[in-house]
Amino acid sequence: MLERLSNREQIRLDNSLARRSDSDSHSNLPSSSTTFLSRFSDSKRSIESRIDLSRIDHPTDPSQVRSLLDNISASISDLEKLVAESSYLLPSYEVRSSLKTISDLKQALETLNSELIPRKKFTFKNKAAKKDPTAEPNETTPENPESVSTKHGNLSFPVRDSPGFRNRKGDILVKNFKGSDIGEFTVSDLDSCEVRLTGSVRALFIHRLSNCKVYAGPVTGSVLIDEADGCVFVMASHQIRIHNAKGCDFYLRVRSRPIIEDTSGVRFAPYCLNYEGVEEDLKGASLDEETGNWANVDDFRWLRAVQSPNWSVLPENERFEVVNISTLGGGTDGN
Amino acid sequence: MGLLSIIRKIKRKEKEMRILMVGLDNSGKTTIVLKINGEDTSVISPTLGFNIKTLTYQKYTLNIWDVGGQKTIRSYWRNYFEETDGLVWVVDSSDLRRLDDCKMELDNLLKEERLSGSSLLILANKQDIKGALTPEEIAKVLNLEAMDKTRHWNIVGCSAYTGEGLLEGFDWLVQDIASRIYVLD
Repeated sequence: MLERLSNREQIRLDNSLARRSDSDSHSNLPSSSTTFLSRFSDSKRSIESRIDLSRIDHPTDPSQVRSLLDNISASISDLEKLVAESSYLLPSYEVRSSLKTISDLKQALETLNSELIPRKKFTFKNKAAKKDPTAEPNETTPENPESVSTKHGNLSFPVRDSPGFRNRKGDILVKNFKGSDIGEFTVSDLDSCEVRLTGSVRALFIHRLSNCKVYAGPVTGSVLIDEADGCVFVMASHQIRIHNAKGCDFYLRVRSRPIIEDTSGVRFAPYCLNYEGVEEDLKGASLDEETGNWANVDDFRWLRAVQSPNWSVLPENERFEVVNISTLGGGTDGN
Repeated sequence: MGLLSIIRKIKRKEKEMRILMVGLDNSGKTTIVLKINGEDTSVISPTLGFNIKTLTYQKYTLNIWDVGGQKTIRSYWRNYFEETDGLVWVVDSSDLRRLDDCKMELDNLLKEERLSGSSLLILANKQDIKGALTPEEIAKVLNLEAMDKTRHWNIVGCSAYTGEGLLEGFDWLVQDIASRIYVLD
């Protein structure tokens, strides 16, 4: 890795040298402030007249308008570059007034832009226009089977679904990642389900679960939990973030400090999962050693030295000793 | 960035750049900064507050402000806007569910006047995870084409896990800032 980085560093140096000599031979930098000023004011006048002309007479095709505007914008950038390159020979007053001119030109271009293509520029207008009360980001409609795609209703691009378990009630859902090429896995909109994930996965997303049990093998990246109520989670991961959970128990092994946010009534205990091959999976994910971090919870809603009222350590006499999902009955491979 | 501070920088030729790293929680901001600096990335806790890293990159000194992305602390991002030369927006390309959150937060950020002069690098992180969206797809989702004409921006796919793409992204950012602010000597 280090070698590769240093190789890249070398290539980069070579490239930048090449670029520099390139610019030395091709660009004729102004040699005095008078030549700079005349070049500057020429370009300035040319840009201004192009802006004024476009206002009166511009193509009707929006893509042509766009390329016209892009052209002007490029000229302004060139002018800006000229100022940067010449700044060492200019009195500070000239630098200041040139920069002011450039910012005026940009302003004029912006105005022109909004006159010619008013809708395109203001993305938030676009968004507001498309706003649909059923597609609010904070909606809570767990029974809606299309929830994942409708949630992206105000995006300009259809987004595919990731692999996962969604919209189930009262089921036992089993998935073994061993030998699969799944990178990230989603568990969302479940009610009263038991989820058993074995083998290791890169990222796990958990969203809107109530009264569920989730048992998971190692996650080598991060786990993100959002909206969970009355659940039990047994999981091992490099990072764990818990948002909007209440009344849940977490049995964790984490390499870093788990965090909670907008969460209350949650309790923590050490990881206690067992299934055939769990030791090997944990070792492969560098999660074979207990870090003790299950008890080092950061509450982003409680930034004080005293213990947060939102979480506690699960009393030993109330903990599961070991959950062995190899010997638990039932379950269908839901994928 | 105010006009005076630009001039001050030209005068002093201090070759410093101030870079602000932001993005939703879990996007990989801290991992990226540590990886670029050649540090261990195997144990990183979610950032409670912020980290500052000063590192030498090419011939410049970068002051990188890595600010936590949890919802509770996003409202503090604005405390770091002043004098920002480069803005790095980090996206978890595998987090499909929160792409609309991601777009909304970015749109809000770009309305901020104090950031209007800064170069914008969008890092489509976690490209090593199977199922992650490509940088092209992220660009469409974030509707980057509709961005303000005067903004200098670029999107680069990367993986903080393998290091892929990070240098390409920062090369662009540093060059772009340099060409705006510093004398090219």
